[in-house]
Amino acid sequence: MPSPDLLALVVTLKMAALTTVILLLISTPLAWFLAKMTSRFKVIIEAIVALPLVLPPTVLGFYLLIAFSPQHLPGQMWQQATGQQLAFSFSAIVIGSVLYSLPFVVQPLQKAFEQLGGSLLEAGAMLGAGPIDRFFTIVLPLTKASFITAASLGFAHTVGEFGVILMIGGNIPGETRVLSIALFDHVEAFDYAKAHVLAISLLIGSMILLASVYLLNLPRRITTNLG
Amino acid sequence: MSISFMSVSFASNNPIDNPLRIAVSSNFTPVLKKLLLEFHQQTNINTQIISGATGALFLQIKHGAPFDIFIAADSVRPKLLEQQKLILINSRKTYAIGQLALLSMHNKAQLSDLALTLQKIPKYFAIANPEIAPYGKAAKQTLQHLGLWQQYQKRLITGININQTFAQVRSQAVSSGLVANSQLIMNKLDGVVIPSSYHQPIKQQLVIIKNRANIDHAKRLSQFLLSPKIQQKIVSYGYANNVLTELPIQPLIRPLIQQGKTNAKP
Repeated sequence: MPSPDLLALVVTLKMAALTTVILLLISTPLAWFLAKMTSRFKVIIEAIVALPLVLPPTVLGFYLLIAFSPQHLPGQMWQQATGQQLAFSFSAIVIGSVLYSLPFVVQPLQKAFEQLGGSLLEAGAMLGAGPIDRFFTIVLPLTKASFITAASLGFAHTVGEFGVILMIGGNIPGETRVLSIALFDHVEAFDYAKAHVLAISLLIGSMILLASVYLLNLPRRITTNLG
Repeated sequence: MSISFMSVSFASNNPIDNPLRIAVSSNFTPVLKKLLLEFHQQTNINTQIISGATGALFLQIKHGAPFDIFIAADSVRPKLLEQQKLILINSRKTYAIGQLALLSMHNKAQLSDLALTLQKIPKYFAIANPEIAPYGKAAKQTLQHLGLWQQYQKRLITGININQTFAQVRSQAVSSGLVANSQLIMNKLDGVVIPSSYHQPIKQQLVIIKNRANIDHAKRLSQFLLSPKIQQKIVSYGYANNVLTELPIQPLIRPLIQQGKTNAKP
């Protein structure tokens, strides 16, 4: 049986990895749509996407808890579809994380798509490339760095998530107890030695991840500054 | 790719099959952890501790959290769950009576005299939030009993629960405050126990959640915690005697309580 903190690490990495994959799948079309949108409603969608940045996590968590509970419609629909309760499950914390980390993935992608000139895409279209072909051969290579930034920020932000998961996860070992909650438990129990170990690992891990992202973006940043 | 990898490794990682899930108020968690060692030896029942604020755990149980037994820090939330018919009938029991204590990290010398110490009103004073935390409510009643509530009101730093209050005083962010006596004992710190007559009893109750698979194990844990031997142990960890709550409690230091009473009159 692995140590409780190791188990929390495994749950955290699974949650963050799955969240990042789902976020990339949702955010890419959403960011593209927002980048190309000219209607006035654009600001409303942008505001909704950015909401998790300003809403207190426990508030978001509280409403998600109500929505996910077996007494209410979204929770009931999930239960009918999967046969399992949504609140306090691994699926619940993944859905919560997707909502909570959405702006961290959508915003960098949207910026990248906005900066992308239309001429290259037009050239691709004239040469007979379809929309999907154009996306993979022109857009993706040109915006690779932004995809890496978006994915890393989404992943890192999900690892550091606390309030939402505390509410909808229920702190269940091996299922919804993630590192940040295990750390909080140690602090609450005045077990500062174990808390320090987790805190320093989280700190070093996040530091390495963020430094790598900035390192990957460094050549591009320098050339854009010069050019 | 990651989806399939996840579901496979997840099933194999589940450490214990169907353990008894205990939702416990974080101020009782350290004591419970010690007691569970003995419980496991006696019964061979595996347990899982989910520690949190009583209010948050209550909210989660209301929305279907998979907990078998709820060990709360008060009697309000267990009563509410009982009224909402979410618990096993007659499973609401008082397992401990909380005691307050004055903790000061700076001037230990003055702690021998509670009333005198409290009359020197500090710049800041830490108590748990009287509106939401049972130890905070008792702290407010204590200050009212001593006639000091008005003077203290603007100096109060209120924690969301007694653990936060304890952390604030222990880290010396606030020089003194009213914490749980069990926190002092578990952390081997000195303080002054507040006489139980200064406030209404802090009844800490447990309830067994109904419609769960582990009800038999939950009942055994409840019986275990209420057994005379374990009750004695709980008292030794800084709680008041559960059986004798109706009787006045012997003050630890006699002059101290008299001093407090005379001060309460005006």
